[in-house]
Amino acid sequence: MSWIDFLDLMQSLLDGVMFGATYALIGIGFTLIFGVMHKINLSYAAASVGAAYLSLLIVQVAPAPAVYLLAALSGGVLGALVYYLCFRFLPLSQPLATLMSTVGMLLVLEEAIVHATAGMPQNYPAAFAGVVFDIGPFMLRGDLLFVFALGCAAMLGLKLMLERTRLGLATRAVAQQPVAAQLCGMSVDGTNASTFVIAGLLGGTAGAMTGAAIGVLSPLLTLPLTVKGLVVTVIGGLGSIPGAILAGLIVGGVENLFQFLRGVSERDIYVMLMLFAFLVFRPGGLFAAPGGRD
Amino acid sequence: MSISRIGTMALIAATTLFATSAQAQGREVKIYGFGAKSGVVRIFGLNSEAAMKAAADQINKAGGVTLGDGTKAKLVIEYLDDRCTAEEGINALRRIAAQPDAFVAVGPTCSNVAEPVFGILQKKVGDAGDTGLQFPVYTDVAAKGGLASMSQWAFRNVPSEAAMYKSLFDWIKATHPEVKTIWGGVEKDFAHSNATFGVMKDLATKAGFEVKGQSEWLLADTTFSTQVRELRRGEADLVMISAHPFTTCGVLKEMQRQGVKPKMMVGLTSSSSMETLQGCAAQAEGMLIPTSFAPVTADARKAAGALQAAGASMDLHNAAAWENIYTLKELIEKAKIMAKPDTIQADRQKIREALANAKETSGLLGKVGRTDDREAVKPFLFVKATKGEWAVAHKPN
Repeated sequence: MSWIDFLDLMQSLLDGVMFGATYALIGIGFTLIFGVMHKINLSYAAASVGAAYLSLLIVQVAPAPAVYLLAALSGGVLGALVYYLCFRFLPLSQPLATLMSTVGMLLVLEEAIVHATAGMPQNYPAAFAGVVFDIGPFMLRGDLLFVFALGCAAMLGLKLMLERTRLGLATRAVAQQPVAAQLCGMSVDGTNASTFVIAGLLGGTAGAMTGAAIGVLSPLLTLPLTVKGLVVTVIGGLGSIPGAILAGLIVGGVENLFQFLRGVSERDIYVMLMLFAFLVFRPGGLFAAPGGRD
Repeated sequence: MSISRIGTMALIAATTLFATSAQAQGREVKIYGFGAKSGVVRIFGLNSEAAMKAAADQINKAGGVTLGDGTKAKLVIEYLDDRCTAEEGINALRRIAAQPDAFVAVGPTCSNVAEPVFGILQKKVGDAGDTGLQFPVYTDVAAKGGLASMSQWAFRNVPSEAAMYKSLFDWIKATHPEVKTIWGGVEKDFAHSNATFGVMKDLATKAGFEVKGQSEWLLADTTFSTQVRELRRGEADLVMISAHPFTTCGVLKEMQRQGVKPKMMVGLTSSSSMETLQGCAAQAEGMLIPTSFAPVTADARKAAGALQAAGASMDLHNAAAWENIYTLKELIEKAKIMAKPDTIQADRQKIREALANAKETSGLLGKVGRTDDREAVKPFLFVKATKGEWAVAHKPN
């Protein structure tokens, strides 16, 4: 390997890690819902992309930050909608029920996007377009650094929320012992709905940041982001927010590394092999608590 | 003959005449279409359906189509959704073929559907040992090379991409001597993009260019930095991208980020639509694409206008759908199609033979030649992305 090849390899790795910040944001949402309800919401990434699409309603008249804000708010609304349609009235003791309802919701959201836009890719405003930091021979994209910072801010914000607020206390209580929480006067439904709204706000932001990082929105994004979100959640440790961030960066890096080394036809095989390796050797992921739900 | 008897006969004659006329007025000939009306390439089906309906509308306004028994009938279009998947495409064609009024179908829109759909048709006409479907299909969009040779019931009105890219690279060679090297980019998991890339690469080499390498990605990829870095290292004069609009735009935007500015860019035929310009007009500026449609003739302008009035836009794909309806109108009249439930099998045979015997059809850019293997030789031109529009760059002879 020549020096130039080595530099390219490192740059690819760096780019992947940076782009992994978008996977991390999606992963945080997956893991937040799992942490509270111990359920997987498979429509989460589709709702995130849907929220980004909704923000296009003001793209002609509003600056980029307002577009992103609308994406976040739309994500919150969609989060609540997903909760009431796919979780609230379904028997939570049947794990397959919510899994299938969220698969259905994923398909409905994807098709709704396709019908609204005829499947045509939509230009999406970039955050910090053209901001590039040259560090020696390497290049760092400003927009991806911003997404990374946003992921870290989301992690800190969620940590503060969970530890310092009544909602956080209720969320933790419901996550650990829903029956006891209810006996103490906490509303389990209200707490779950709030979790979905918060996860939705993050999801909308993630959808917007993914659109901004690629520069284009397409309904093609929903499925790969769902898969990446799940991989990140499992590798990070189900329910672990710092784990989701670290796993997002790792998945992004590994993906680009193998894209560089083995090409596009083999790239995803290695990402999946890494997932299998975690499932076999460290099924709890990077940061999961050793014990399960009591 | 008494006056009352003459009166009665006149009344009967008048009633019969009126009834026949009313029946003729009310007759309808249905042409079925099928393509992607849902899923991520829904736009293909929507555009094709709109073009077929607009063409049928124009024909009906001009008096409709004359059937084998001399009566006039209205053309009616019914379009089925195949979602751009093979199983749905096969289902759609089987459903169409089961209809008592179906004698021809236009579609599908995706090559990955056309291939299996043509596979269920009878391969050789009259082969009693082959129980394949005996139903003529006249494809408008699916562009992967050479598919019609799979069955004698399969016909296509899609441009020959090999001819188009050969002409394009020859033209670039002659007019841009400074362009010597090429780097390719290909969406590996989409049948049309991948197959056409092979054609492009081969023809570019034959035209005397050095193809220095290629970068690959998948249809649903979200990051292109590694691929574009390869492309940047290639330092080629020309970048040719064989991909659909979503990833074409993703790659073009990454090229802009990494400051890759080749002297020239060439794109896939399918990208010469509004989708690319909607996704990344600024980054696509200057991209050259061969296409079989642009509003450069009176007929083409009229068709584009009719489609715009219907709320759609015309591109190389649905221009073919429009042409197919006009061609079928001519062939229905020439082959004396009856379009009755008891003649439907004979009608299918007749329209197949008429399509097989056609040596030339009318197209929006001029005459369209027909080959022995049931493909089309369409006129084409080169368009260039200029200020958010596709402008004609060159029209080969």
